[in-house]
Amino acid sequence: MNWRNELLAVWAVAVRNALMASRNVFFFFELLFWPIVGVVSIGLMTRFLELTPEQASFVLIGTIALSVVNVCQLEVAYAVLMDVWSKSLKHQFLAPIGIRHLTLGSWLVGIARGLAIFVLLAAFGWWAFGFAVLAPGLPAVAVFVFGCFLTAWIVGVAVCALITLFGNRAEAFAWASVNLVLVLAGLYYPVSVLPESLGAVAAAIPLTYFLDAYRAHFGFASEFRAPIATGLALGALYTALAHWAFFAAIRRARRTGLLLKMSE
Amino acid sequence: MLAIDARDVTKTFRSGWLRRRETHALRGVSLAVPRGAIWGLLGPNGAGKTTLLSILATLLTPDGGSVTVLGHDVLREAAALRHRLNMASGRPSFLWSLRVDEIIAFYGRLYGLHGAALRRRVDELVELCELVPFRRVQYSELSTGLKQRVALAKSLVNDPELLFLDEPTLGLDPDVSVRVRQHIARLRREQGITIVLTTHYMREAEELCDEIAFIKAGRIPARGTPGELKRQIRLGEVIALKLDPAAVEWLAEAPGVLRCAEAGGWVECTVDEAEKRLPELLRALHADGVVVKNVQVREPDLEEVFVELAK
Repeated sequence: MNWRNELLAVWAVAVRNALMASRNVFFFFELLFWPIVGVVSIGLMTRFLELTPEQASFVLIGTIALSVVNVCQLEVAYAVLMDVWSKSLKHQFLAPIGIRHLTLGSWLVGIARGLAIFVLLAAFGWWAFGFAVLAPGLPAVAVFVFGCFLTAWIVGVAVCALITLFGNRAEAFAWASVNLVLVLAGLYYPVSVLPESLGAVAAAIPLTYFLDAYRAHFGFASEFRAPIATGLALGALYTALAHWAFFAAIRRARRTGLLLKMSE
Repeated sequence: MLAIDARDVTKTFRSGWLRRRETHALRGVSLAVPRGAIWGLLGPNGAGKTTLLSILATLLTPDGGSVTVLGHDVLREAAALRHRLNMASGRPSFLWSLRVDEIIAFYGRLYGLHGAALRRRVDELVELCELVPFRRVQYSELSTGLKQRVALAKSLVNDPELLFLDEPTLGLDPDVSVRVRQHIARLRREQGITIVLTTHYMREAEELCDEIAFIKAGRIPARGTPGELKRQIRLGEVIALKLDPAAVEWLAEAPGVLRCAEAGGWVECTVDEAEKRLPELLRALHADGVVVKNVQVREPDLEEVFVELAK
């Protein structure tokens, strides 16, 4: 393996995604408008319900995680979606590009955008609602944010696999899938309130553990033993599975001709 | 030395969930393309041209047969092969918001170019494909012709040894088409690139290609140089005569004359062998008192060959 070429290919995808993002008229809405609308509405709701500062923190952590994961996973899904929309998929796969380059490059841009949103919402949450997102300290924040990015990566790669497998029909899944994952991960509530069957699904989602670990710093008892280690282990497993699924989907698309159909 | 060696290639597309439908796109295609050749692939729509091209370019996997391109097996060594080939399409499509130089640079990085070498390559290609005034223009704002030039520039970014051109002059203005054809010929002449070309324009194939394969319903029924193809299907040769009086009834019945037609004041006789029949016809016309004012002999053009083969 030529590491220089590997890094160049990842960089190529990252530069491409960053350029496209910077020229996207919806960029402002994705980066600023919707996340702030989310924090404002949830923040005001916590005031109306007269939640304690700890309870408000619990909910606002979920709101911030929602925005960060949403934007980051969308950027990863763009690795394939943009080429499907522009019908340039065949040019991309004619070049010596691997799925690792696509998903890593787009994930890097997703991380940059996710970090920008996190910082923005943390500052806004502190200013508007007195929410001290950084109070648990930088290592805890770093682990929590990484957990969000890892979840976003997995969902984004899975969406790429589905689009490559089913074509444009799967596009709606790109928008809907992450919300399903987030609801089950216990965004605004502890997963113990979920019905038993859904609780088992929640326990299979890495973000559940990262939310749990972070909320523990705000005084909420952890529902899991070793949540960070469990979250990381599950994340590593799903990352490998999602990449395998994406690889298999591309191989199938080369066999069925879908790769060409999506470029016509 | 062969650039492409494909044997008995088959490909069937399957669609539908409940009622499976099968389309046999390739039914045992074999071809051998020598290095440094410009090789044409002609055929009606749906004949299998794009399928074959896509298999050779590693975009599609064959169901059966063997395909070796530049010494690499397209199934087992596709990754290595992709570094050495490239493709430009007559219906190009790239990310809409990227500028011309950004598109070329993106693909350049994928082929391992970076820094000054990448910048130099982008500059060279922008100049070569006459894109200098448009290098900072977003792709979505370019005309069809300019988009095709971007596709051509992108296809050269890795100095490919094998270049696939899928209808490279489709929809271009005639003057631009001429320049693209000149450019393709120059690529082979100066850089020795092997070029596989699909086109609907017979003149383009005749002008550029060393050899042509005609593909129809997933098979290659005829192949050869443009001249060989014409001979293979026995279209005959055309003797065009300008006569006084303009029409001579017995001409169509003369020995060796396959058919006669009038076109623009000329009588065009298609004969089995012009070299043998021309003196006979001239003697007969002279004996009949017909004045022959002008004579032209020509081979049928490739378009007529195409029409005949596509029947």
